[in-house]
Amino acid sequence: MIQVKYFGIIAEAAQCESENIAEENMTLSKVLSDLTSRHSLGEYNFQIAVNRKIVSNLSEQLLEDGDEIAFLPPFSGG
Amino acid sequence: MKKVFLEGAISPEFIADSIAKHQGKHSIGAHNIFLGQVRGDEVDGKKVESIDFTCYEDMANEKLHEIREAAFEKFDLTCMHIYHSLGNVKVGGICIFVFVSAPRRKQVYEATEWLVNQVKSEVPIFGKEIFENEESQWKVNS
Repeated sequence: MIQVKYFGIIAEAAQCESENIAEENMTLSKVLSDLTSRHSLGEYNFQIAVNRKIVSNLSEQLLEDGDEIAFLPPFSGG
Repeated sequence: MKKVFLEGAISPEFIADSIAKHQGKHSIGAHNIFLGQVRGDEVDGKKVESIDFTCYEDMANEKLHEIREAAFEKFDLTCMHIYHSLGNVKVGGICIFVFVSAPRRKQVYEATEWLVNQVKSEVPIFGKEIFENEESQWKVNS
């Protein structure tokens, strides 16, 4: 099971803050493209974190059971 | 893990109390404090009334830990504290409090600016500006 978290404007657009998906052994890029299209997130600006680290190259990285993916819109703290 | 996130605005009493707690540390010769206050911006004739802050708390705490470690590497500090609000903070409320202490003053100026910039650019915190007419927009840092 992989946990997906959505924040800020992305959570509003997806109408969801968190969901579990059963997509082990799939690549990160495939999972992201499925989620982006399912929640119509294509027009938004976001970064992706896997296990709380920003992933700059959305490569063919394989996801494993227990991974946590986060959709992060631009930060605006302070 | 040091506690960074506080619910609602950071009160002047909390800040005063933080200063008082350092008076027993006699190697300190300089403190510097940055306070960020919610500004009543006007956008298309609508005035911001408050900001709702949310964050990715697990990642934010990990990132803040890294920032803290890096600050001690980079600057000669005695101690440092970062506090940030979560939830609703009204215009005029303090939403970020960065407090840096060192033997001498040069380091505290540089460290404070570096830390505030790091928090704004690296920590997953999201602010939503709420207008007087109850409309809202997601804040973008400038």
